[in-house]
Amino acid sequence: MKSAFRFLSVLLIIGLIVPAGALAEKEIKIGAIYPLTGGAAAAGRELRAGAELAAEIANNVMADINMSMAKNGGIKSMGGAKITIIFKDHEGNPTLGADLAKKLILDDKVDGLLGCYHSSVTKTVSAVAEQHGIPMINGTSTSPALTKRGFKWFWRTTPHDVWFTKDLFEFLVGLSGGKVQGVKSFPKKELLNIASACENSEWGSFVSALIKDFASEYKFNLNKSLLYSAKAPDLSSEVRSLKAAKPDVMMFASYTSDAILMVKTLKAQKVQPKIIWGQDAGFEKPEFRSTLGDSIVGILTRTVFLPKVVDIKPVAGQVNTLYKAKTGNDLGGASARAFTGLQTWVHVLEKAGSTKPADIQRAANAINIPGAELVVPWAGIKFSTSGAEMGQNTLGSGLIGQYQKGPDGQLVLEIVYPFDVASADMIYPFPQF
Amino acid sequence: MDILLSSIVAGLLFGMVLAIVALGLTIIFGVMDIVNFAHGEFLMIGMYTGLLTAQATGLEPLLTLPVAAAVGFLLGVLCYFGFIKFLLRGPMIAQLLGTFGLMLFLRNLALLIFGSEDRALHHGVLVGKSFDIGMGIILPATKLAAAGLSVVAFWGVWILMNRTKIGNALRATALNAQGARYMGIPTERMNALAWGIGGGTVTVAGALIVNFWSVNPFMGLLFTMIAFAIVALGGFGSVPGAFFAGLVVGMITEIPGFWDFMTYTFNLDWMANVPMTSFKYMWVYLAYFLIMVVRPRGLFGWKQ
Amino acid sequence: METIKNALDFSDFPRIDLIIATTILIFLLTFPLLSHSAFATATAIQFFMFSLYGMGWNTIGGYGGQVDLGKAQYVGIGAYTTAVMLIRWDIPFWISMPIGMCLAVGWSFIIGYPLFRLKGHYFAIATIATSLVLKALFEVWAFVGAARGLEISPIKYIPPDFLRLIFKDDIYYYYVILGFFILGIFYMNWFRKSRLGFQLRCIKDNEDVAQSLGINVRWAKVKTYAIATAFVSLVGSFHACYIKAIEPEDTMSLDISILIALMAMLGGAGSLWGPIIGAGILIPLKSYLKEWLGATAGLVGIDLIIYALIIMLVSAFEPRGIWGIIDKVRRRKRK
Repeated sequence: MKSAFRFLSVLLIIGLIVPAGALAEKEIKIGAIYPLTGGAAAAGRELRAGAELAAEIANNVMADINMSMAKNGGIKSMGGAKITIIFKDHEGNPTLGADLAKKLILDDKVDGLLGCYHSSVTKTVSAVAEQHGIPMINGTSTSPALTKRGFKWFWRTTPHDVWFTKDLFEFLVGLSGGKVQGVKSFPKKELLNIASACENSEWGSFVSALIKDFASEYKFNLNKSLLYSAKAPDLSSEVRSLKAAKPDVMMFASYTSDAILMVKTLKAQKVQPKIIWGQDAGFEKPEFRSTLGDSIVGILTRTVFLPKVVDIKPVAGQVNTLYKAKTGNDLGGASARAFTGLQTWVHVLEKAGSTKPADIQRAANAINIPGAELVVPWAGIKFSTSGAEMGQNTLGSGLIGQYQKGPDGQLVLEIVYPFDVASADMIYPFPQF
Repeated sequence: MDILLSSIVAGLLFGMVLAIVALGLTIIFGVMDIVNFAHGEFLMIGMYTGLLTAQATGLEPLLTLPVAAAVGFLLGVLCYFGFIKFLLRGPMIAQLLGTFGLMLFLRNLALLIFGSEDRALHHGVLVGKSFDIGMGIILPATKLAAAGLSVVAFWGVWILMNRTKIGNALRATALNAQGARYMGIPTERMNALAWGIGGGTVTVAGALIVNFWSVNPFMGLLFTMIAFAIVALGGFGSVPGAFFAGLVVGMITEIPGFWDFMTYTFNLDWMANVPMTSFKYMWVYLAYFLIMVVRPRGLFGWKQ
Repeated sequence: METIKNALDFSDFPRIDLIIATTILIFLLTFPLLSHSAFATATAIQFFMFSLYGMGWNTIGGYGGQVDLGKAQYVGIGAYTTAVMLIRWDIPFWISMPIGMCLAVGWSFIIGYPLFRLKGHYFAIATIATSLVLKALFEVWAFVGAARGLEISPIKYIPPDFLRLIFKDDIYYYYVILGFFILGIFYMNWFRKSRLGFQLRCIKDNEDVAQSLGINVRWAKVKTYAIATAFVSLVGSFHACYIKAIEPEDTMSLDISILIALMAMLGGAGSLWGPIIGAGILIPLKSYLKEWLGATAGLVGIDLIIYALIIMLVSAFEPRGIWGIIDKVRRRKRK
């Protein structure tokens, strides 16, 4: 009787102490500001889904995913603390984005930020984060200016437009040189004239300037370079202007609705270049595919992720299965990079072992995530800590994909660049609309 | 030369489409002096009506036009009896405020019901087809049909206004509402009718336009502005004025095309670098401003 | 001086008004020190900004009776002047802001003279046209960053920087804009009793009579338009320092012009408190409704629907806005 009583009292004491320790399990709050409504709402949904999936995998033990974050429930170095994402909608408005950032930092007291897709919104949000000394990881905005500001609290995982645009010109040179799978070499002068049309905000105008620079560096003729408003309902005069320049290559930087409209207008006006290329964003969205259907066969797009990557990286396939079950779509450039952004947060928090901003900053500057961990086909994630581009991941890379018709009649994106990971023969020149 | 011809043709086609968008606005203004800032929203509703009817019934989109017309007519009449009637009692400032409120209301109602993404038609007799008539001129079938409808609609409205009893009643109300009332004309009903016709024409325009443009809840304002410019140019209240002004505005939006033509004809490199397309609609606004300052009556207007 | 006395003299309002106003003022003065919500402070700053925009608009739109829907272009001129001067030549806010005002007022004279040949709807639409034209020009002008806009680096200047108006915490911005707000109220109080104010009222009542009384109608309107412009430009300069990133789509859009006019009209155009009431209702409504409802994906746009319904009801039944309702109720009570 007495020993039972002692046993019970020991149990009671343990029962009081241990749960208290377990209840001290912290919750880590990450604020994610995305365009959940407005013109880019479709992208916003994908971004949200990608980030949520990453958080799910991080917070739970998932044996069938070959990632280190799937092996633990929560952040191991912080006692299994789970990540909660607080989503806010910036509607594509930079001023609203800044206000929301302040709210997240000062009222909701988040430990870090993630976002924002639109480079113009990332600009203002990261400025707020920088002022308040709260770390921000950016997974999807590609305007190079963002990492040239000397910020100490801003890290970007995705490669930026300088990389991607350079890839394109390397590709074009390689194309005439016969390096592309399925295309014999031909004289460069057949592919000399370029025309570009970019949307006129932060992102598009930078791409437009980059195209100008690279065109002269790689000795192409840029006959026409125009900027248009992504919200315009009608692009026929723009397309007519491009057509009049008689280009061999047409390059675009468009968000979703304008990408769709542009291609529709190109088709209606029977424009016939040898190559049509889009700088990701709109050109890569499921809506682009579903709205335009077979007319997109032959169009090239810069991308960071496409389902074919699964063939090179099994872990991408594992995540893609989960993502497809969650949303009905395959992972795309936006969702894959949002996923990677949150995944980076997980690794940084693991390394930091705490949510103190200084610790996170140190961890982020020292982090080195091997490529095998990532769904995207990069060499890894390592941020530059000095020089002109502080906070930029130096191990990222882009892909160029081409829409083709698969054996089952379905539209697929085949990899055509880098040359050595090409997944199919390239269709060249661009087929009749 | 190709460029010039295709620009001119495109400008005229686009102009006819814009004209029919503006027609409703000029009728409403002519009859009761109220400027409907929600005009573009009516267009947007017309587009959604056409789209959804075609998608729901699987019918050829062209056949949805009568549906759109009916919806527009009813909406116009409803707006009049439910709201505009009260606005007319107040000062102009209240009318402006009121129709703005209506604009915001309709726009956000559409946002709530339809979501913010673009929607478009993918099937139908006209979708995606065009005629290549040589010399670099390509006529998209949808724009051609819209232009054709525009001509028919203008002609129809003109006949209505000038050759029918109801048309006379409408014009009497427009000229002098008080006097019309003394003559026994039910001006209330005339006002409602004006709103009905105004609403109906623009929703039909919308149902046609949705064959070649996608629709989202925010597109109304741009068209309201262009419609204003057209109505001002043509003269507030003038039906033929709206048609010709529409053509002029259509040509104005083609200024980038004409610039290109000059660039290639005279081979001046610096011209190619001027970002004309960014200014597309700016010329329309500039034209509006100049006309209003120089000749407020517009080309054919009779109202000051 | 007479002017200052006039500005400070609110005696033509009933006592209860002044008591309410003073209470609210005390609340506003102490609010940020007590509040723990950064969101509330940010919303309050928006409120002050739009009250000032509205007060400016009210001079020409309310007292003058000419509805102006193109104020956003002056926000742009003020904002860009301050931003460009700071970024290129390190000129502090307190110098660039008056320069911005001068530029804005100059522009307003240039387009004002032709504009005021028009009245009513024509005028309103013409103001929209001019604003859009200027916005389009800014979108292609490389000097101001074209469509990408300008960014004031948050790390280049050490906050708190009172000269350049760069602060880390919103509370500083709050008190600065509150200061302008109070000054604005005093100015408007003087304005409505000034000679120009009376001239405007006369013109609004009956322009021809005013003309025959010897008032130079056109010149009075242009002067008033310039005053409205100055207000708007001032707040525009503040905006640049507050948000630290400006671009034409964000700063000079038609939506902003419409919001400015709507708030003033809703609160009561042509009255002193009208614009403030309008902003005081619509800004918190927009922010908080969006917070509560907007995140729920299914209810996007409800906040603005409610907004729109309020506007429609007020315009149909009391065109003099909420102040007009208050006034009407009072008159009825007095009987």
